[in-house]
Amino acid sequence: MSDTVQPLSAPISLSTYHQLSLTVESATIRNSGLFKPNPYLQVIVDGKVLRKTEVIKNTLHPKWKEEFTVLVTPLSQLMFRLADHHSFRKDHVIGEKKIHLLKVLHYFNGKCENVELCIDLMKTVSQDGTAGNNGVKVKTADLVLLLDGLRLDPSILSQSHEVLGEATNSRSPLNDGVRARIRLRNNSDSSRSMLRTQNLRPPPGPPPLSNGSISGVVATENGAGPSHAEHGAAESSGSGALAAHSSQPPPTVVTGAPAPATPGATAAPAANAATEEPLPPGWEMRYDVYGRRYYVDHNTRSTSWERPQPLPPGWEVRRDARGRVYYVDHNTRTTTWQRPDTERLARFQHWRVERRHVVAQGNQRFLYPAPHPPHPPHNQHPPHAHQQSDAEEAPAAGSSSGAPNGGVTIVSGSSSATSAASGASGASVAGADDGLGALPAGWERRVQPDGRVYYVNHKNRTTQWEDPRTQGQEVSALEEALPPGWEIRFTEEGSRYFVDHNTRTTTFQDPRPGAPKGPQGAYGVPRAYERSFRWKLSQFRYLCQSNALPSHIKITLSRQTLFEDSYHQIMRLPAYELRRRLYIIFRGEEGLDYGGVSREWFFLLSHEVLNPMYCLFEYANKNNYSLQINPASYVNPDHLLYFKFIGRFIAMALYHGRFIYSGFTMPFYKRMLNKKLTMKDIESIDPEFYNSLVWIRDNDIDECGLEMWFSVDFEVLGQVIHHELKPAGDKERVTEANKEQYLQLVTQWRMTRGIEEQTSAFLDGFNEVVPLEWLKYFDERELELMLCGMQEVDVDDWQRNAIYRHYTRTSKQVVWFWQFVRQMDNEKRARLLQFVTGTCRVPVGGFAELMGSNGPQRFCIEKVGKDTWLPRSHTCFNRLDLPPYKSYEQLCEKLNYAIEETEGFGQE
Amino acid sequence: MAATRRLQKELNDIRQSGLKSFRDIQVDESNILTWQGLIVPDNPPYNKGAFRIEINFPAEYPFKPPKISFKTKIYHPNIDEKGQVCLPIISAENWKPATKTDQVIQALVALVNDPEPEHPLRAELAEEFLKDRKKFTKNAEEFTKKHSEKRPTD
Repeated sequence: MSDTVQPLSAPISLSTYHQLSLTVESATIRNSGLFKPNPYLQVIVDGKVLRKTEVIKNTLHPKWKEEFTVLVTPLSQLMFRLADHHSFRKDHVIGEKKIHLLKVLHYFNGKCENVELCIDLMKTVSQDGTAGNNGVKVKTADLVLLLDGLRLDPSILSQSHEVLGEATNSRSPLNDGVRARIRLRNNSDSSRSMLRTQNLRPPPGPPPLSNGSISGVVATENGAGPSHAEHGAAESSGSGALAAHSSQPPPTVVTGAPAPATPGATAAPAANAATEEPLPPGWEMRYDVYGRRYYVDHNTRSTSWERPQPLPPGWEVRRDARGRVYYVDHNTRTTTWQRPDTERLARFQHWRVERRHVVAQGNQRFLYPAPHPPHPPHNQHPPHAHQQSDAEEAPAAGSSSGAPNGGVTIVSGSSSATSAASGASGASVAGADDGLGALPAGWERRVQPDGRVYYVNHKNRTTQWEDPRTQGQEVSALEEALPPGWEIRFTEEGSRYFVDHNTRTTTFQDPRPGAPKGPQGAYGVPRAYERSFRWKLSQFRYLCQSNALPSHIKITLSRQTLFEDSYHQIMRLPAYELRRRLYIIFRGEEGLDYGGVSREWFFLLSHEVLNPMYCLFEYANKNNYSLQINPASYVNPDHLLYFKFIGRFIAMALYHGRFIYSGFTMPFYKRMLNKKLTMKDIESIDPEFYNSLVWIRDNDIDECGLEMWFSVDFEVLGQVIHHELKPAGDKERVTEANKEQYLQLVTQWRMTRGIEEQTSAFLDGFNEVVPLEWLKYFDERELELMLCGMQEVDVDDWQRNAIYRHYTRTSKQVVWFWQFVRQMDNEKRARLLQFVTGTCRVPVGGFAELMGSNGPQRFCIEKVGKDTWLPRSHTCFNRLDLPPYKSYEQLCEKLNYAIEETEGFGQE
Repeated sequence: MAATRRLQKELNDIRQSGLKSFRDIQVDESNILTWQGLIVPDNPPYNKGAFRIEINFPAEYPFKPPKISFKTKIYHPNIDEKGQVCLPIISAENWKPATKTDQVIQALVALVNDPEPEHPLRAELAEEFLKDRKKFTKNAEEFTKKHSEKRPTD
């Protein structure tokens, strides 16, 4: 064997690195002693890169099926060394062999795809049985390998003749104890699919590759230099199939056209390509009729104006069994659907760093120090005890199965059942005629033997006393008359406030004497308490507990594949099963889940869904606090299934009282609560857009030539998506007269564009586990508090890092403000913080690291308005507009309103 | 589409008004979101050349402001090596949907003619501009000669 080939003087194309997939399958060792060895294989590339398989104990027939990706040049030499592992002695070499990759490449004409190699491993044995230079080479083992994913231009190979001279002139280099053949797909199905599951699958979820088909791997050759680029262009410019697909921004008119006509343009590519990096494999540069350069990605059959950045080192393009392209990062052994670029990688890096703090963060969250005992309404037993099973057994066949315990069944929408029921039981008061309209789909009203009405949710097999239509609403039974000159009004969101026409002021406080404490609320407790978060929470907990199912479900996961494992197990189970007690097991880790493990799982997985490589969620607005659905999530072909999964998962967190790492945007919570979104909601996710809307609202637009029509555009992944705000909106101009309607429609569109399907899928999944009706007690801010928990807020740190505008550190309002903060409890503090910053969480590094929409933004108090105003907030700038109140009491009162009452009033 | 109509109108207006300091406007009809043109300053040291700029309008225009970048290298305290320029009229805080591109261009031309060393993107040039105007002018003139485009003759 000639071991002296020097790659130094080789032309560029021969010394370019390529990725080679190398699967170590098995070996057969010749028996040579009493004990069986513990074999493992070392792979040495050009004397440098070293890979090692697992040690397999006590066998002569080790099977590894381990896949490695190694970087090689065509001139590389691969050394395979089989060794026997000893615990206390030096490992001993069983046999080895060096292979010239070039020979294999020559043999298969440049294509190293699905090539099976059987190699005789040799050992030099001297006459006395010890290894030595003068001995004889003896075959000690057979090794089976699979090479894949390397393809070279034969023209490059031909250069190697000059380089290697004698080394390559024989076409039979593989006789030296090396046998090679191209393995047919079917032969290797089982082994390959197994290895793929262990290794790098496409990003979350798509089914693992069913076989290691040759086409499964996109050629990893390098686009090597100008000559190749031109060559490619000439070759494929007539390709109709491709042309039909290049529907993206670049020139739809001219795809399929032959190479550029103007001589200037033809000269350009060579010149440019010479100075730039070569294009990634499968990419090609072309010119349109205007001479503008664009790029064709043959892998994804798409085009782009931007020159693709070459894949970073260690990355590779692959195609899954369904022909979809994805990207493999061998550095981190992860995959993603989107081509990695600098920005995406930076975000990923940030995410990875964050991950280290996740668990520590989780341990700091709490809602209330001690769990509260359930608070059953009216101290009665819940209906679930026996009817639960009934509901479970016959969820869809309510009326026919009847009510075993004398209960009466009324299926919503079925009038015959209703009349029969009211005839049979006088207790079913105001059955379907209560003026509230039909029950939500899947719900049913039933009556207990004692005449008490309860509600069955067949969709997710729960029961409850409360009518889902009025759940969480304040039912004001007997309204006392207001004092003269007063009036009740409702904000756009439906919160009640009071207008005093005598003084021309408004307040949320009920002016009737003793109002907050006097009349009992709908639930028989003082109304003020009914509005407290603690009470709402206990109502919710009560519903969860009374619908809990016996026994538990086991979810077994591995930390490395947390997302996929969780996905498969959660989606496999019927949704109601997810209400059983959870028992989480991390594979390979001992420890019983008495709550701690599942707490960790919720926290880790909720951070995992943020992995930028999954493209499912993104941080709204650059500040790393709240999540929104990524409108580009469709690059992940199964994204809707994932959103459904995440919906289930989030509902599980609420149901089981666990926290998640990062919350959602306020508008998203409002959507969960089915609340109307207002213009102000846009501010927190897109302040620039919001400012423009405000400008349009506040100025006469007829004279300023806005040229706006009832249609809008936005861009996702380089594609502009056009939307008509109403039928024939393209033809209707926006004027001062109709701008109100326009702003409404634009607001609606801005909050839903590109994410409607995903949101529905999320809500579907959520509702299967926790009926959305159960959330109606809460407002969006309370929902976040429940999901993310609170943290101890360090007021000293907060005050130290606050800044002021038009106030100073010593202004009396500022002094009062901090006095007010210090006398609040933690829940209040969290809510004040949420009011101003949009989240109840403090950054890992404390208040100094508070982020706004344009980078770091300290907590700021600004003097705005008059003392009759309520405080306002600008969450994207972490700013509180605090009017110059006249007394400490006034300041407390106004701030309390702002925090306690839902938005619209406090914020607008 | 939504932005297209507005831009089409703005483009026609600009072409008709024949701005002296913004010439050779090139817009590809299939993509009206990207404009190119030549800034032709009046004041020394930039009055010896012309500077190509690119204006990129977002799909959400005019809800969001356009972005401007210089394609020709320029020695200027407010324009960095990458051709980025900081123009208050198109900043997030100041942007109004009624702002027209010709106003933006005029603001840009004014900035090129009269640098604002108080808000520099290139602090070292701003310092030179303030402390040693002669040297700055000489450097800028040389730089303009070397890198800028020819001024249109008509």
